[in-house]
Amino acid sequence: MMVTRNLIAVVATPVFFLAIAASESGTADVLFERDVRPVLKAHCTHCHGEEEKPKGDVDLRLRRFMDKELDGGAHVVVPGKPDASELIKQIRDGEMPKKGKKVSAAELAILERWITQGAKTAKSEPATLAPGPIITDEDRDYWAFKSITKPTVPTLENAAHIRNPIDAFVLAKMRGKQLDFAPDAGKRTLLRRVTVDLSGLLPTVEELYAFLTDNSPDAYEKVVDRLLASSAYGERWGRHWLDAAGYADSNGFAEADSPRADAWRYRDYVIRSFNSDKPWSDFIVEQLAGDELAGATHADASTAVQDAKRRDLLIATGFLRMAPDGTGDEVPDAKLARNQVIAEELKVVSSSLLGLTVGCAQCHDHRYDPITQADYYRLRAVFEPAYDWQQWRTPAQRRYSMYTADERAKAAEIEKQAVVIEAEATAMNKKFLDEIFEKQIVKLPEAEREPYRAARAKVEKDRTPEQKALIKKYPSALASYALDLYDKALDNKVKDKRGEATKLRATKPIEGHVMALTEVKGRAPETKLFSRGDHDQPKQTLAPGELNIVARGDFTPEKLASGSSGRRLAYARLLTSGQHPLVARVLVNRFWLNHFGRGLINTPGDFGVLGERPIQPELLDWLASEFMANGWKLKPLNRLMVLSTAYRQSSRNDASLKADPDDMYYARYKLQRLEAEALRDAMLAAAGVLNRTEFGAPIPVARDLSGRIVVGKGEVDANGDLVKVASLGAETARRSIYVQVRRKTPLTVLDTFDEPNMLPNCDARNCTTIAPQSLLMMNDTFVLDTSHALAARLRKELPGDARAQITKAWLILFGQMPRDADIQSGLVYLAEQTEAVRAHFETNKPTPPPAPKAGTAPAPVPPPPDPQLDALASLCQVYFSSNRFLYIE
Amino acid sequence: MKPSTFCCTRRHFLQANSFGLGSLALAHLLRADNALADAPVKPAVDGSQRFDLLPKKPHFEPKAKAMISLFMMGGPSQMDLFDPKPMLTKYDGQKFPGEVKYDNLAESSALVLGSPWKFEPRGKCGMELSELLPHLAEVADDITLIRSMQSGVNNHQQALFAINGGRITAGRPALGSWLTYGLGAEAQNLPAYVVLSHPNGLPTFQSDHWTNGWLPSIYQGTLIRPTEPRILNLDPPATLAGRPQQRQLDLLKSLNESHLADHPGELDLQARIASYELAAKMQTSAKEALDISNEPESIKKLYGYDDPKTKDYASRCIIARRLVERGVRFIQVVNNGQSWDHHGLLISALPANCLAADKPCAALIKDLKQRGLLDSTVVHWGGEMGRLPVRQNDKGREKWGRDHNTHGFSQWVAGGGFKRGYVHGATDDFGHKAIADIVHHYDWHATLMHCFGFDHAKLTYLRNGTAASLTDNQGARVVKELLA
Repeated sequence: MMVTRNLIAVVATPVFFLAIAASESGTADVLFERDVRPVLKAHCTHCHGEEEKPKGDVDLRLRRFMDKELDGGAHVVVPGKPDASELIKQIRDGEMPKKGKKVSAAELAILERWITQGAKTAKSEPATLAPGPIITDEDRDYWAFKSITKPTVPTLENAAHIRNPIDAFVLAKMRGKQLDFAPDAGKRTLLRRVTVDLSGLLPTVEELYAFLTDNSPDAYEKVVDRLLASSAYGERWGRHWLDAAGYADSNGFAEADSPRADAWRYRDYVIRSFNSDKPWSDFIVEQLAGDELAGATHADASTAVQDAKRRDLLIATGFLRMAPDGTGDEVPDAKLARNQVIAEELKVVSSSLLGLTVGCAQCHDHRYDPITQADYYRLRAVFEPAYDWQQWRTPAQRRYSMYTADERAKAAEIEKQAVVIEAEATAMNKKFLDEIFEKQIVKLPEAEREPYRAARAKVEKDRTPEQKALIKKYPSALASYALDLYDKALDNKVKDKRGEATKLRATKPIEGHVMALTEVKGRAPETKLFSRGDHDQPKQTLAPGELNIVARGDFTPEKLASGSSGRRLAYARLLTSGQHPLVARVLVNRFWLNHFGRGLINTPGDFGVLGERPIQPELLDWLASEFMANGWKLKPLNRLMVLSTAYRQSSRNDASLKADPDDMYYARYKLQRLEAEALRDAMLAAAGVLNRTEFGAPIPVARDLSGRIVVGKGEVDANGDLVKVASLGAETARRSIYVQVRRKTPLTVLDTFDEPNMLPNCDARNCTTIAPQSLLMMNDTFVLDTSHALAARLRKELPGDARAQITKAWLILFGQMPRDADIQSGLVYLAEQTEAVRAHFETNKPTPPPAPKAGTAPAPVPPPPDPQLDALASLCQVYFSSNRFLYIE
Repeated sequence: MKPSTFCCTRRHFLQANSFGLGSLALAHLLRADNALADAPVKPAVDGSQRFDLLPKKPHFEPKAKAMISLFMMGGPSQMDLFDPKPMLTKYDGQKFPGEVKYDNLAESSALVLGSPWKFEPRGKCGMELSELLPHLAEVADDITLIRSMQSGVNNHQQALFAINGGRITAGRPALGSWLTYGLGAEAQNLPAYVVLSHPNGLPTFQSDHWTNGWLPSIYQGTLIRPTEPRILNLDPPATLAGRPQQRQLDLLKSLNESHLADHPGELDLQARIASYELAAKMQTSAKEALDISNEPESIKKLYGYDDPKTKDYASRCIIARRLVERGVRFIQVVNNGQSWDHHGLLISALPANCLAADKPCAALIKDLKQRGLLDSTVVHWGGEMGRLPVRQNDKGREKWGRDHNTHGFSQWVAGGGFKRGYVHGATDDFGHKAIADIVHHYDWHATLMHCFGFDHAKLTYLRNGTAASLTDNQGARVVKELLA
């Protein structure tokens, strides 16, 4: 908090405050690195050192530069003599700084004391220094940039609640706030919590009974293991990663928001990786450099995808293809669109894996974090060969066919036959027209017949004006096209023939494609620093490399036989080496956030200066170390977290709610609303209609006549106007992760409940509580239909027994028995509502279907009104809308 | 609980499930979790606070009751719109004679870019405005133009945080949240805080514009769709319309209240309950409020609704006015992306932006005035920063742009207790830095709060043991000179 305040006071120099604090806290010696440099950085070095040419040739970045003699013989700094030092004189006289905030008296005092003490440095200074801002040891000393070391688990007294090291860390901090864990949550609550958390679904009634009647000491552990082993786990946790990756089934950027037909293979790859608990070290390397692992480049990727393993590796690089990409669509500035893809992709990489916002450094040195513009372009150079904006490949040019040689041959053979059939159809068409022509031409005056024949034989553009005039004179004699206008029956014959070709083509083996990122063999274009981020203003060339602040040694691309540059593979290995200060921290923080509803750093995409400071740095580092030591596997970490007391405690702790509303100390389990996908999936599952088919092409969405985006296929009339949305049957009720993500037309039920808009990705979801959500629960067709389905299920399972139906609904939706009062209020409601609906149908008789025309089958008769079912459905809707359903305690 | 009902419940319970686990104990297990918890849950905190949107009295009698923020994300160019600088014209194309505080020092051109547009004194007050704003010119005597805004933070997102949330840090409540927190709303049948977005998309930083931050979530802005239907799902199904739906909502409320009693103090649960109540009322009121089809032709013409070029912005300004009339507290009209961020193509893009918004914005002032609403409604027009006096993207006149500038920029404000026909503050000869009567973003906020009847430092929210405010100890002052 204090850091933040002071940060704002001086705008952009957090180190400044830390330094002042240090110097005021009684440390005797004033040190250049710790105390002085932050002052100079705040007021001076922007002009004096960080530009290409320092103003007045005075460079204040290093102490030794200050021995410089100025014109007129004065020195910037004379050790021991502040009054003789030009630095002090100019500040005292108000000559400097020329712009920006004045140096405060306290700051000036630091400079004076430092010079009086001999203007010392703590360490020896570098022999050479490149132009631009320097990254100081103090910058490197920022918590997130320091290497990860495994802290000791605190030992605490009276710590009966400690189940594992997580609890020890959490409890230690909590006690500092005079807080304690809430009691353990009850079994019902815990089952619902952990089931949604690990599978994105609610526990079934059967699962609930099994757990409640299991009195073995490890009953909960068994549930956790069952959930971790279920296929639903990958669908739930894969979704979290798809947020970070910015998954979408459309290209975005351009107005068209064209579909991205092959993205789903990446989505399936992610789900499978989570389910198989693929080590994240592999998962990351595959996503950043799967093509290089597969030994593939652009030219041979289609061969590589023939092999299942290599195909998977190529699909993994879909991660680097997730950003909006308008380069295959109509865009006003193609070069800009290309570079935008690269910029957005770097945002995805940096926010998801590094927890840093590098985007600002595209145009200028990062204002808050020690990331220079050169750093940004070094990072870009890692990825440049694959994107190569000057020899760009559009999304269509980055698809690799999965056809085998046999399939390709078979398809070619079929195509050959189809072409023959089409040629026959064309010949038929011509023959028919010629025959008609011969009949027509005799109607012309004799003298004009041969000239007309000659005119007809030419294509239109070759006709002389006279010939054109002649044809205009007898238009109906032409018979060169539009056979259907002359003879419908003949035209149908031609059409049937063409239809044969279409039918035949449909027998071709289905051609799948892989969307991947590859390089062109041997081509590694130079990366230039773009002045102001403008690709039309290229400056110096930069070699690939890691951000300086986190670099631990030189960057050497992997040597690859494939001819790919090996840059991404080297970078990915560096990230997963176990030495990187950010990656493991960022990952475990995100995992924690997903379990607990609040990150240890609640700015999961920004661990930089503008991000949150850790209250629990030891816990974060302990988890990161543990994660890496256990082979970067997520499931053991999931298990550890959900088995902790911190996780298993009740969401009720009034002391915590009062003292710590944000739950930064985890003295209660944070009450959370179901996320959009979990909400939709839970509703479908409750209604008994959820289709658990896994994987495959996305289920399409369409805009309905009310403007909602729904699952289904839009049908348009001849004018292109929407007529209706056709149902996709059981496909409609697939899990939300399989529903198409169109950036411009997100599914209304998900969008309303804060499904992220991928521009380009999402670090942490919003959780809003706004009236449109309530309106959706009250009036949306999805909610109404699903409520009806649940009512139908209840009536089928428990016919004629309203009490039992209510009880079952509570068990399905809330995982608990209703109190008797709840049953009573439900029964009263049902009775009244049934009457009301009955009355409605009395006054609004459904219109009978129109009498069938003679000879046609009668239209299907709609089912008669069923007030009882409607009333039960409306009760189910109330339950769906209630907080007991919407929130996880 | 009566034994008979319990029996009955149990019977059905067994019937409902074919497990044959007919133990009373199981039914008991399903009833309450407390039975299994290690210790009983503590009783409810006494008087745990409930937040609502009922109208509240500020610290003193306010001038302003509502606010319409016409937010121009990206940083409109002040020297081309509001702040004429003859020196720019004089030095056009020459090296800038002073020192420019560039966004990036090494890389901008140092050549002065004189405004390609003419300025003229407007209204009786003689306020000089650019020819790009011919309609604003007609209401010059009704507005206060501030030419000396400063936020001192050069990134769009942080600058947005500053001007819209009080400080440059993320996660804080937006201005509209503060106002609805402090004042509630006159209307209980519409959201208190409404955001009207552009048909081409949301602003770059999306919900940062309307976040409640750490204020309770009922103070969050509600985003209205830019095209019809502006709010989805306003119509109940035929079988439930009217009393049956009310019956649903009554039952829902009692269920939610009994649930809340187990979770006292959980603000999100409270907000959800309030949200259903609001939604029920919105079914009738929102449709009426957002439907501009019955506005008279003269009004549609006034705003430019009849012209495709101005139609979108006109529709949103008319809706904003209708919402104010109906007691909505705060409305923000936002643009897509950061469409005023003219690093290039200034010469074509700036006029296009002005064309779309100028007429509707001016019409809003006229219309509020003719309805007697301007006195109690603050209308604000401005972005998060301004632009530099020198060329950027120096690749030919067509491509010229201007870089960010937060050392001096302009915005205008009308109504709600602000002066009329008044120009406040000044930038240097080149329009670069504010030099006279500087208004920091927090001063602006303090002044606004004053108009709404608040001592800005005293409208606070207790958070982690600290009383946090919109201006939050930044030394903000009420700029009395701006007030009538």
